[in-house]
Amino acid sequence: MSGETDRRWIPLPVDRDRRRALADAALAALPALLATALGVVPLLVLLVESVSPPVTLSNYADLGGSVYPAVMFRSLGIGVVVTLVCLAIAYPVTYWLAHRCPARYRLPVLVSFTLPLWLNYVVLNYTWVWILASEGVVNTVLTGLGVVDRPLDLLRTASGVGVGALELPGLSLGLGFVHIYLPYVLLTMYVSMERLDYRQVEAARDLGAGSLRVFLDVVVPETYAGAVAGALIVYARIAGAYATPQILAAPSEQMIAQIITTQFYDVLDYPFAAALSVAFLAVVLVGFGVGALSTDVRAELKRW
Amino acid sequence: MGEGSEPAVEDGDASRLRADGRIRRHAVTTVRGGFFRATVVLTALFLYCPVLVVGYLSLAPASQPSIPLEGATLRWYGAVLTDGRFVRGLVTSTAIGAVAAVVGTALGLLAARTIVRGRLPAWFRAGVALVVAIPLFVPTVVVALGIGVAAGRVGLGFGLGPVVAGHLYWVLPFSTFLVASRYATLDDRVAEAARDLGADGATVFRTVTLPRLWPALVASVLFCFALSFNEFLLTFFLAGSGVTTMPLEIYGKVRIGATSFLNAASVLVLLLSGAVAAAAASLEPPT
Repeated sequence: MSGETDRRWIPLPVDRDRRRALADAALAALPALLATALGVVPLLVLLVESVSPPVTLSNYADLGGSVYPAVMFRSLGIGVVVTLVCLAIAYPVTYWLAHRCPARYRLPVLVSFTLPLWLNYVVLNYTWVWILASEGVVNTVLTGLGVVDRPLDLLRTASGVGVGALELPGLSLGLGFVHIYLPYVLLTMYVSMERLDYRQVEAARDLGAGSLRVFLDVVVPETYAGAVAGALIVYARIAGAYATPQILAAPSEQMIAQIITTQFYDVLDYPFAAALSVAFLAVVLVGFGVGALSTDVRAELKRW
Repeated sequence: MGEGSEPAVEDGDASRLRADGRIRRHAVTTVRGGFFRATVVLTALFLYCPVLVVGYLSLAPASQPSIPLEGATLRWYGAVLTDGRFVRGLVTSTAIGAVAAVVGTALGLLAARTIVRGRLPAWFRAGVALVVAIPLFVPTVVVALGIGVAAGRVGLGFGLGPVVAGHLYWVLPFSTFLVASRYATLDDRVAEAARDLGADGATVFRTVTLPRLWPALVASVLFCFALSFNEFLLTFFLAGSGVTTMPLEIYGKVRIGATSFLNAASVLVLLLSGAVAAAAASLEPPT
């Protein structure tokens, strides 16, 4: 106690600290207010809106009717299927890139794979229209070579293939989605694949493991966090996409964002659009909750 | 190995086994390498083929191209660049993108500083990070609907103001976490030393912190520009009838099937955003 009273310079730094903390709070206020006004408040407004007028759960009750459960389920199903396809492509590609590719080509190849991240997805989706249309590139080549007599229905055709309630996306919708979201998965997987110690792969080979064994017992356990992180980054975006199904989906492949948009723009039924959004958000967040339970995945997601 | 001293039979077996193994492993490696290389090449084709096709078709003389093209012309590029609506959309998108890039990065810098260095309670800093990160895990359609409905309820309505605000919020998580990851690697002792030598906060920031954050800030500006320039759904919900941006304009043209025009417009847009991406790639490796 007596020592402290002698050291009279102590109050000064404390005062300086308080001033600095105040300045820090003032600087933090700007982004925090913007993020609250445009992130938290709108979500609360949606929540309130979804149980109006005055207070009712009828909007949520309406969700059970008509096509809505099917659309919600289809959206999530397409999100999962497309994500799995992206992962199936990303595994061999990033493995080659991280462990086989000569070092001087590595960066150029990686950059060229991630370049489409920067491009406009409306434009990228549209490019598939011309490839798959009945007088498009694929059909012209196929009819020209005499492989088929008349053009195939490739554009905006539902797959009609499903496992239980999980319906696979049609060709044009699936290609359009993979084309946009593959670069995200490639980038996430690459970061993870690069940290895989290649000596483990060599050791497993020397011990007689075949390719499948190496993949399942070495590569997958070492990189699953990156795969889950990549999946989490894209699956909700795919399930909630609007432009891609508008441009490339069959009429029977309506997705959740299209219904929400219709309710907002044409029907002007804000409470019901809000209920749809809140329900969709809840389902999407369950996926994140489950994925983020793993600390490895959380560490991987932090990079984003 | 000292093979000469070992019994002949065993030696023969062992070396045959070794040779077998070597041959088999070599064969497997080649096949496997072939498989991997094939996936890489196919993936590259898959990603770039559509772009090449549209580039080729943009040279069509007719408004509905027939394949193969009968002749080649640049007239659709002229049509795109003299189309008032499209050029207006392009200018609007560029202007919004520039604001989102510069202001978004400045806000991201403030948010990153708060999260990494702010002398504030941990719960507050975590709260800022969480609120900023909302667009990363809430589907865009939900964010867009929320802002749209909220703007309508408080009487802000639709138009340029809500679009710019929406874009700023949309790019904020990317700029924040891009700058924060760089901020976290800075050695705080340099700033402390400058302070102890009498520099005030603003001087320390300007002369010590800012120069070392520069690469991340430039990368953030470019990335935010690309994000905002290409954003469709948020703009679609917030623009109302008075504002048109490049993605909205292209989307409208897709709906009415203006093909050759659209092909040329697509190529121009791809070139433009590709140039921004190339600039970013030359500055900061993506890893």
